[in-house]
Order: sequence, then C-alpha cells, then structure tokens
Amino acid sequence: MPLLKIDDLEIEVKNGTTVLEAALENGIDIPYYCYHPALEIVGSCRMCLVQVEGMPKLQVSCNTFVGEVPPERKVDGNFDMVVQTQNDLVIQERKNILEFLLLNHPLDCPVCDQAGECYLQDYSFKFGNAHSRFDEDKRVRPNEYLGSQIVINHNRCILCSRCTRFTREISGTSELFVDERGYSSKIAALEDRPLNNLLAGNVADICPVGALLSTDYVHKNRIWNLQKKSSVCQDCSVGCNIDAFYQKRKIFRLNPRENQDVNGYFMCDIGRYGFHRFEDLERVTRPLFKSNGIFSEISWDTAIEKIGDKFNGAEEKVAGVLSPFHTNETNFMLGRLIKGIIGTFPHIEDEEITYPSGFRISSDRSPNKRGMHDVCPSIVDDLASEINDKEIRVIYILDNEIDKEIDETWNKILTKMDFIVVQAYAMTRLAKSAHLILPGLAPFEREGTITNDQGRVQWLRSVLPNNGESRPDWEILNLLYKTGERFSDINELMKGMGEQFPSYSGMTFFKLGDQGLPLNGNLKT
Amino acid sequence: MNAFKPVLTEHIHQKDCHTLPFYKSVGGYKALEKVLAMQPDAVIQEVKESNLRGRGGAGFSTGVKWGFIPKDSDQPKYLINNADESEPGTFKDRLLMNKTPHQMLEGMIIASYAINCNTAFIYIRGEFYKEYQLLKETLAEAYQANLLGQGILGSDYNLEVVIHRGAGAYICGEETGLIESLEGKRGWPRIKPPFPAIEGYLHCPTVVNNVETLACLPHIINHGADWFKSIGSEKGPGPRLFCVSGTVNNPGVFEEPMGISLKELIFDRAGGIPENKQLKAVFPGGSSSAILTAEEALDVKMDFEDLVEKKSMLGSAGVIVMDETVDMVQACLNIARFYAHESCGQCTPCREGTAWLVKMLTRIVNGQGKPDDIDMLYEITDNIGGRIDFSKGSFGKTICPFGEAVAWPVRSFVEKFENEFRSYIQQVEAVA
Repeated sequence: MPLLKIDDLEIEVKNGTTVLEAALENGIDIPYYCYHPALEIVGSCRMCLVQVEGMPKLQVSCNTFVGEVPPERKVDGNFDMVVQTQNDLVIQERKNILEFLLLNHPLDCPVCDQAGECYLQDYSFKFGNAHSRFDEDKRVRPNEYLGSQIVINHNRCILCSRCTRFTREISGTSELFVDERGYSSKIAALEDRPLNNLLAGNVADICPVGALLSTDYVHKNRIWNLQKKSSVCQDCSVGCNIDAFYQKRKIFRLNPRENQDVNGYFMCDIGRYGFHRFEDLERVTRPLFKSNGIFSEISWDTAIEKIGDKFNGAEEKVAGVLSPFHTNETNFMLGRLIKGIIGTFPHIEDEEITYPSGFRISSDRSPNKRGMHDVCPSIVDDLASEINDKEIRVIYILDNEIDKEIDETWNKILTKMDFIVVQAYAMTRLAKSAHLILPGLAPFEREGTITNDQGRVQWLRSVLPNNGESRPDWEILNLLYKTGERFSDINELMKGMGEQFPSYSGMTFFKLGDQGLPLNGNLKT
Repeated sequence: MNAFKPVLTEHIHQKDCHTLPFYKSVGGYKALEKVLAMQPDAVIQEVKESNLRGRGGAGFSTGVKWGFIPKDSDQPKYLINNADESEPGTFKDRLLMNKTPHQMLEGMIIASYAINCNTAFIYIRGEFYKEYQLLKETLAEAYQANLLGQGILGSDYNLEVVIHRGAGAYICGEETGLIESLEGKRGWPRIKPPFPAIEGYLHCPTVVNNVETLACLPHIINHGADWFKSIGSEKGPGPRLFCVSGTVNNPGVFEEPMGISLKELIFDRAGGIPENKQLKAVFPGGSSSAILTAEEALDVKMDFEDLVEKKSMLGSAGVIVMDETVDMVQACLNIARFYAHESCGQCTPCREGTAWLVKMLTRIVNGQGKPDDIDMLYEITDNIGGRIDFSKGSFGKTICPFGEAVAWPVRSFVEKFENEFRSYIQQVEAVA
C-alpha cells in the first residue's frame, strides 16, 4: 500500500485514494465545496488546494490520487507522496479563493437558514479577511423557485455544481443545469421541467451554502435552537437513516444520515416531509373507555383490568392484529400474548421506484413488515376469514398508521366484535371503533428495533418525548402479562426475543449503534 | 534563411488549390500511401523524431502526445481535429481549411492511422460557415476517391471523418472543453488527470490536434524527420504560420521558419507600421500571451524558447501589433472584457476574478480609479493565474489554462505600462 506523508502524519492508504479522502479519514481538515463523496469529482471550487512535493503548482486534493511509485521516485526514499495541507502557501491560497467566493456574496448570515451549518461561514471565519477589498457593485439577482419545494437564492450560490450533478447522477432526472456562462452563470431549471422529483429535497442538504433552500424549513427556526437525534425513517421498508432536528415537542426537519449499507447519503421527500402528518393530530393521551357510545378517561389499572376480564377464559377467542408500522419488540409482545389468532390488516402496495444510482423507494411503505413476520411466524394469511371461521369475539389491534384506511370487510368484522381494544396514539377511525383505547406512542416517539426489507436491523430511536399518560407500546402489552412473565425493561425483552428467535439473539441497542446490523449471525458477534 | 520556401502554404495562391485533383497534382496523398505501408508505431516514432510541437498554443510534442494512447486498450480511439480557432489575432487554421483542406485531411488520416483510430472528428468553429461547407465537399471528394471509408487505398484500414460545428465559445478550443462540447454537453473543461489520451471522447482514448499541426504531417512523412528538424529553431522546428494583425501596413498570414525575428515579421513581411508611427507593444502569440514592449519585441525570436525567456509565449503565433497611438489601459480593458465574456464560469478564480478585473478596469477608464487599484490588479491577476515563474513551470490555479490566459496579458499590461494606468488614476486625484 502506498505510504503517504500528509503534514506530520505518515499513513498507509489504499491505492487510488485521493489526498482529500485520506486527510478527512485521518482528521486533517481540508476545506472543500464542490467535492461530495457520492458525486463525480469536478475540482471546480479550488478550495481544497494543497502542496504536493515535486509538483510545480498547488493541486486540488479531491483529484490527486495517491498511488505506489517506483523506488527511484519515492520522496526521501520512502514516501509515495508528500503533501502539505497547512503551510503558508496553502493557507494563503485558501484566503484567495474565499475572497473570490465572497465577492458577490450578500453576507446575510443573520437571515440565512444555513447560518450555523454553513461551510462558507465556517471557512470565512477561519481563513477569510475581515474586510472586503471589492469596491464594485455586487451581482444581485432575485430568488427563484426551482421546484415546488426548492428555492434558490442566487446571490449566495457559489456554483459548486453539486446540485446539478445530483440531478444528473443520483436522481437521473437532470432538471438542474447551469444557465448562461462565466460571471453570469446560474443554477436553473426549465420552466416546464421543474425540480419536482422525489429526491429533490436532497439538493438543499448537499448545498454547502445557503443557496438552495427547502420551502418547508425556510425561516422556520435557527439550527442552534434545534436538537438533533439520529433515527430511522419509517415511511418505507428501506429504512433510510436520518437525523431528526427538533425543538421541545416539534420536529423541524429531517436530514438523511450516511449509511452505505442502506441509503448512502440521501433520503426521499416522502420520508423527508412525512413527519408533518403527525403534527396536528387529535392525540390520545389517556386510556379511554367507551360506554353508550361516548369515550371517557379511565386509569391504566382499570383499563388493564377490563382487558383481563375479557381475555380470561376466552383466550382462544381473542385475535391480535399486528402492525408493520410497529417495532419488533411491540409485535413480539402482542404475538406472544395472543393465544387465538394473529394477523395483520391487508397490506397496501405502493409504487416501487429505483433511481439510476440505485437509490430505492420501496413499494412497501411500512418500515417493519419483515421484522414483524420474523418475530411472529404464526401470522395467518387471511385474518378476516379466520376471524369468521373461529368465531372470534375479542380483538386487540395495534394501530396501523393514521392515514391507512380500513376497508368495508373490516368495518363489518369490527361491528360484530364484542370487545375491541385499540392501541393508538391518535383518534383515528380505527380508534373510534374501539371499546377501549390504550394510548401508545407516535412514530417519532417510539423506541425499539425495526428490520428493513434487506434484513438489516436498525435502532429506531425516540426523538420526541411521550405525551400525557401514553406509554411505550411494548410496555402496555407487558402490563397484560402475568406478573412473573413480564420483562423488566426493553433490554430484557430483546434478550427474550432473541432466545425465541435465534436470528435476533445477542441483539442490543449498543451493538446496533447508528448503522444497524444485518441479520443471520452477525448480530451475535 | 533566404532559402526558405513555404511548405504549408506553397500553393495557396493557385487556382482551385482546395480541390482533390489539384492537391494530387502537387504530390498530395503520397504521404498517406507511404504511411499505410508502415507500422503505426513507426509513424509515431517518425513524428516524435521530427520534434513537431503542437501549433494550437501549448506547444506540446505531437509524437509524445500520440504515445500516451494506450496500446493494449480495446476501447475505440478517437482523433479530434481542433479547428475551433478562436484566439484573438489568430486566423491561420482558417486559411489552411480554405485553401488546402486536403493537406489537413491527409494529416488527419495519418494521425488516425498512427493511433489506430477509426473515427475522427473535425470540430470546426461555428462561425466558419464557408469553411464548413467547403470541408463537406472535401470529405465527399475523399470518400469518393477511397481516401476515407472502408479499406482506404486498398489497405485494410478504415476511417470515418465527422464534421461537428461548435457554437462559438472560446473555451471549446480547450481540448477537454471541446470534448465535452462534442459529446453534446456544456463546454466546461474537465479536470485532469485523466488526460484525454487515457479518457477523452466518450471516456475513450483521444488525441486532439490542431489544424496546422495535422497539416505538417504529410510533409514530415514525405521528407523525413531530419528535413523537418532542419527548418528553424532546434527545440521547436518546422515551418510556422504567423498571423500578423493590428497597426501594420500589410496584415496577413506569413509562413516562416520557427525562430524568425519578430522585427523581420513586423517590418519586413507585414510592411511595418503605417504613417511611420512608433511601435509601442506587441502580442506575440495571441491575446493570451503576455504583451511585449517595443524594446522587447525588436529583440525576440519567434520560437518557443526565446519567447518564454521574455516571459511571454509563442501560443498560437497570432501577432497583434500596437502603435504609439494605442491607449494601453483601454486595450487592457478590451482584453479583460473578452476573457470575462468567454470564461466558462466553472471554477472560482476565473469566474469571479475576470469579472472583478473588468469592473475595476472599467472604473479606472471612467476616471474613478484609486491609487490602490494598481496593487489590486497585480494581486487579482496573481490569484487567478498565478505568478509567472517559468523556471518552475506554469503556476495556474484553475482547471484549464484559461486562468493564465487572462491573468498573464492583463498583468503584463499593468507591469509594462504602469505609468499609463497611473496617469488615469492621477487625473482623478487632481480633480479631487
């Protein structure tokens, strides 16, 4: 392997690694704008220039590849390449490039959404001049919509071309291009072909400055007010890794988080903006019991007692409805509890989309169908007819997402039931049909594991706090077990689940970490 | 030196010199016949030995460039004839295409054969409409005579030639910008490496040669590398087309051996300066070369080495002459404006810097200059194109040489005619 000396660091790197990659992997900060690991290298921002021994000019580190050289060409008889990233020449050059980038920049950080997470701001602070030497008029242009959700502020744009490369290489839709030439260059989309593909939101993420803005987030908050938690998107069975940014009880935006085994660097707009549908719901925050058609609040103890009364002695006549929207732990708990039959509502297939880059939006818009089946192998194929055949009178339902409607067949089945328990977080149509509603958690409040359609188990972390008296869904079910059969906490539950289903054995949140692990043995290591 | 007889332009004043019958009557396509009997490597070797250096501007060795084409690759190879002549003050390729298109085409076939290419392109500047029409006829003649197409002249060598018209961007004369444009994309130069010889047109090995370079090839094959080396300067030999324009009595294209003195070119071939005015400055190699003062100009040989010593370059050999009446500040603004207009806008220093120069120079010309502006002009040009330090090679900071192409001439104007810039600025101070 080639030996690279970068500043004072001597490192062996893989053949063909770029200087920039080697530096970033080893904690050396080289500033850059146009480089993005998922996109073609263009080397146009010139910010990542470094000095390479033996080369007359400074080189862009993003396009300088380290390779093994014959012994006679080794520097100091030892190194395949020697690079300076911090000497005066390099630092001066960074200042020069920054000066050019800031000539026409409006310096409107106080009203810019990127402020606080802006590379132009960060590097200006680090390398830039305190005063502009540009005495001329700035280039000023009005903002424009590139698509229904993306606005461009041309004045802040540094023309790194990440966004145009994204639509060409990742989404393959090529809506964005550079219009005009030279100093007049600007990012544009044709009027009759706006940037409305389902990956459009990513261009705002990869924009290194505040030029491309998502209308969903623009001027809503400041990044330093927000807290961040890593989690997993729950809007399809791919399970893109995300960072959720929230303040108190409100999510402000979701950003994709890198996971090369799942989503690469990106996420789709279905997931990105999906969190809004949980915002203005009529939440259920205390157990509700229906008498004479009217719900009234009851205590948890009473609720559990009432269920016990219905279950006792009639265990075989109870049906459980699992949900691919719930975690493995919750489904496992319900599957184990129900002695009658267990099944799910009919599955709704959506459109499957695969982009040229391989990025996929699954036709299965639930996050955990695979995991649900893994931990409840006795799920019946056709729950509706089994319920009729076995004369089921009591049914226990995990909510099936707020906007998934129940059809006529199920409406009929539900009207025939003596007792319906729905574990829900909102007053949905399904919840309204219940005799007893138990307040569980909404998707961004849940914690547990989910398994994507490729068999990767990921840690779904709760982002928002619980509401009122609502409880984690697995914990509600835990209360329905006899005292001796209950789990003390979720870790014990996961252990118990692993004992019953060996492919899940040895799994802990700690091991899953923020990248998850594949099933089949690897969980144990 | 008197013995020099034009090589490339020998027959351009004769009737029908552009036709195939005429070209054949003066020995045309004899070199091709010879080449088809040679091994491709032998052709490359002959051209390497002739020390033919590219006539487009950079002056890179043609044979060496061909040698970079990987031999073991099973990808198709491409040759592109760069006929996108756009350098201000340069009009030699146009003449060659107008008068002796078959000479250039024969060169293309030889080059294609040498690098084992079966599809070659002529990327012609969009404004050259007449030449485009003529080249179409030329190709038709050549196909008719089995000089192109399948089994050329009875050999098993095949070659198709396609003409592609550019849309008039200066930057599409840069070889990777040209390739992008040929692929139907925006004419943005590519970052190197990889160089076109490894990954060019459609990611396949590609050679880009200038019209005049290709036109030299039949003569090298016919008369041998030693003959070619015997013409003109040792380190960059051969005949060269010099385009002389500006304030001269007899502007035009003059074929001379490499290394002719600039003085001879201006005062003899081009007939000197009208009304006996004084020479003030000269661009020796198109407007992207650093300008020479009269004193420097009268003492320079037109070859690669001597001009580099004068901190300029031979470039495209477009000689632009300026007499004493030329206002150097206005001229500098004119040049800067051209380059700002033609900057592709891809990389930061060139996109932002060229426009900054124009804004500042415009302000100076409009009498709004400030004393600091002179220093700023030096700094901006250095930040775009790097300091001119030929001992260490080019010091550019941009993806393609365009950055240098604007920085060097502008810097040379300020450096060599600083007093004129100062006088513009002092006017302001006097008023103030």
